[in-house]
Amino acid sequence: MLPRDQIEELRAAVGADGLITEECQLQTYECDGLTNFRVLPGAVVLPRSTAEVQAVVRFCARHKIPFVSRGAGTGLSGGALPAEGGVVISLARMNRILDVDIANRYVVVEPGVINAHVTQRVAPEGYFYAPDPSSQSVCTIGGNVAENSGGAHCLKYGFTVTHTLALEVVLPSGEIAHLGSPTLDAPGYDLAGVFVGSEGTLGVATKITLRIVRRPEVVQTLLAAFGTPSAAGQTVSDIIAAGMLPSALEIMDALAIEAAEAAVHAHYPMCGGLLLVELDGPGDEVDALMREVRAIAERIGAAEIREAQSEAERALIWKGRKAAFAAMGRISPNYIVQDGVIPRTALPRVLSEIERMSSAVHLRVANVFHAGDGNLHPLVLYDRSIPGQEETALDLSYRILNLCVDCGGSITGEHGVGKEKQQALGYMFAEPDLETMQLVRCAFDPESLSNPDKVFPRPRLCADKPGPYTPHALEKSGVAEIF
Amino acid sequence: MSATATITREEALARLVGIAGVEHTQLDSSAICVSPASADQIAEILRFANEHGLSVVPTGSGSKLRWGNPVAPEIFLSPRRIRAVREHAWQDLTCTVEAGCTWAAMQADLARHGQMVALDPLWPQRATVGGVVATNDSGALRLRYGGLRDLIIGMTIVLADSTIAKTGGKVVKNVAGYDLHKLMTGSFGTLGVIASVNFRLHPVEQHARSWSFAAPDATRFAQPLRDLLHAQLALSAAQIRAGRDGCALDVRICTRPECLDNHAARLHAIFDSLPQTDASESVWQAREQLFASGDAVVTKASMLPTDLCATIAELMQSAAREGIGVSLVAHATGLTTIALSGSGDLAATLHVIEQLRARLRPSGGSMLVLQVPGVLRGQLDAWGCTSDALPLMREIKRRFDPNGVLNPGRFVGGI
Repeated sequence: MLPRDQIEELRAAVGADGLITEECQLQTYECDGLTNFRVLPGAVVLPRSTAEVQAVVRFCARHKIPFVSRGAGTGLSGGALPAEGGVVISLARMNRILDVDIANRYVVVEPGVINAHVTQRVAPEGYFYAPDPSSQSVCTIGGNVAENSGGAHCLKYGFTVTHTLALEVVLPSGEIAHLGSPTLDAPGYDLAGVFVGSEGTLGVATKITLRIVRRPEVVQTLLAAFGTPSAAGQTVSDIIAAGMLPSALEIMDALAIEAAEAAVHAHYPMCGGLLLVELDGPGDEVDALMREVRAIAERIGAAEIREAQSEAERALIWKGRKAAFAAMGRISPNYIVQDGVIPRTALPRVLSEIERMSSAVHLRVANVFHAGDGNLHPLVLYDRSIPGQEETALDLSYRILNLCVDCGGSITGEHGVGKEKQQALGYMFAEPDLETMQLVRCAFDPESLSNPDKVFPRPRLCADKPGPYTPHALEKSGVAEIF
Repeated sequence: MSATATITREEALARLVGIAGVEHTQLDSSAICVSPASADQIAEILRFANEHGLSVVPTGSGSKLRWGNPVAPEIFLSPRRIRAVREHAWQDLTCTVEAGCTWAAMQADLARHGQMVALDPLWPQRATVGGVVATNDSGALRLRYGGLRDLIIGMTIVLADSTIAKTGGKVVKNVAGYDLHKLMTGSFGTLGVIASVNFRLHPVEQHARSWSFAAPDATRFAQPLRDLLHAQLALSAAQIRAGRDGCALDVRICTRPECLDNHAARLHAIFDSLPQTDASESVWQAREQLFASGDAVVTKASMLPTDLCATIAELMQSAAREGIGVSLVAHATGLTTIALSGSGDLAATLHVIEQLRARLRPSGGSMLVLQVPGVLRGQLDAWGCTSDALPLMREIKRRFDPNGVLNPGRFVGGI
């Protein structure tokens, strides 16, 4: 809890209805989607404007109080975990779409705008906002900018950074700076490019100019059932080698299919490796490419190939895929979501290694992956009530990340480093690399007030509890859902 | 040697010879030119220069050496010996290329597996990977594939204090740590020296066809261009060329061979009232011709796509009033290369530049001066940057290069 005079300063900055200090209300903000890390903030503010954000950040700078900005709290790496005794800046009330310029293909939004609402706003004009994290119906653009969120369709369309043209940010000093421009190649360093994906450590974005994309003429979705994930992976490699760039290439293994079926009845074929291929573009081109995809899948030995015949069928296929994490609750009491990336060609090797590692410790690992760009989401299933199993599961999940790095990949493709993977970042990057990143951090935030003690490795404290999923009270009561 | 140098040129030469070898270190009238053989040697050279306050300009072929504000360094650091395509993981559509490799040599290597870095910069036969990245050059393909920010997935850089740092990685999807490669791209060698770059790759465009449409005045293209970008065609590139002889709009379609005719028909429906011809593929290198005359002032303007046609028309008119010739190539993304020539009146040229900057600024546009005739060097700010992020940029520069030895003064705001 902050001292009374500081609370009064905050109240002056955001008004009485924009300030939360009651412990029972603060608890709502004690974690994000990585629910087993919990820290009670000193205060939560809900500003309505850039000026209010600036007043709060200036307050924090003056008193050297750490702050953490937060969108919808769906992040899976603890990026929005409060700093102990610090201020949480919830951008939920800054949720206006400020400008829509269809002809120049951009929109200007406040950070609390929900991802899917951007597409809803421009859909009547035939446009969409491309990054589509599974949580897109609730997650905010501000959070997407912090995490450089991806989604199933970033294989073709790119990530949040690809679609972020400009930012208005409140720097940790409280100054306002405008990074980038709605026009390309604004003079100066590409600070917008650096800010996106900095996980809230460089300041608070208060306005975001997003690129929107012309909706493709046709979208076709195909499911192909294989005996193993590796066969599905080979099909992915052959599709890419044929020079195609599908908008999505997803693989689920048998456990993931079982869970998704139990949760949303997507009518997936039961098989060892299910491949989802989505192609979009001009109608004639998509037809031709889809014939080629079918031929490749048949050659690799698909037992069944199915094309979505309607928008409803397509939506159901995606519903199953996007619910895959949450669905794990149907087949396991507890699970850890991981987010590693490997070169596509390493897929068979990594899958068999994960299989070997998991059977050695008698745990099940379900695999869901954005196969086109090698982004694996291994889900380590375990039962916390069995003594020692949580530690084993955690250890396994981190060893899988190390395996990804050893294969030339990354410890995170879209969930971010946050609190969860600080140490793993030290496995991926050498000290000179991390020190160079710190030069940027120090230029933006010399006092380390903005989301401190995240992303970069540090000596682990004994109180830390990394990793696994623990249901939040809101989730237990059915009010909220984890994506 | 500059006032900040703490060593004579002869001593510096001896040290650099010691690092890179006598055959790779030359003294010319103004500077020492040194070609290191590795990132480690780059680090040694920078450590030496940094310690002694010697300014360094990294330069590949020198094709864009005049872009930005003028710098007269003590050392030119050329990566021309560091030029291998080190890795081409063609099944993963990624590659790692050393900074001194020419763009064309890299593309030729990648083409063996039918792949490319989907970017068409100026002078690919000469321009090096490091130079293209440091200046953030891009061509007409940017409409379809994005710019270097979207194509670079990792980098190895050498800082002024000799730190060799890696950023990003070799996978396309990666959000671990800060993307320092985005900071380096377009930083004009003011933060560090690029040693190698990791790219994501695309398949080579095999079935492409280009068309040109003519009009006396760019405003005629405004509506068709808007319709073209809204149409769901397999568009690869689009640009407007304007000059003394009128205007042309070039369009490139790339799709499967069996679909080309259909797309061509749809394209022609959009431009039905304009005279049209099949264009030669060489129109996509038209930008290079704008630099041909050393007497021309050449600039890179950036504007909103909807501003393109009206801005071009106004520019042609106002330049004509001042007796200045204008040739330009405007990509559909809004990036426009403009050559102003034929006027002995420098004040008039500066006036046209300032007028255009003032017109572009309110909508976020900008103009960078790429080439100026000798008499104008130093007379105009190459960048015209008024961003409120300048203090932050200066602080980043100070952290990366505290002694200010890398390309001093070349960049925005005197960075």
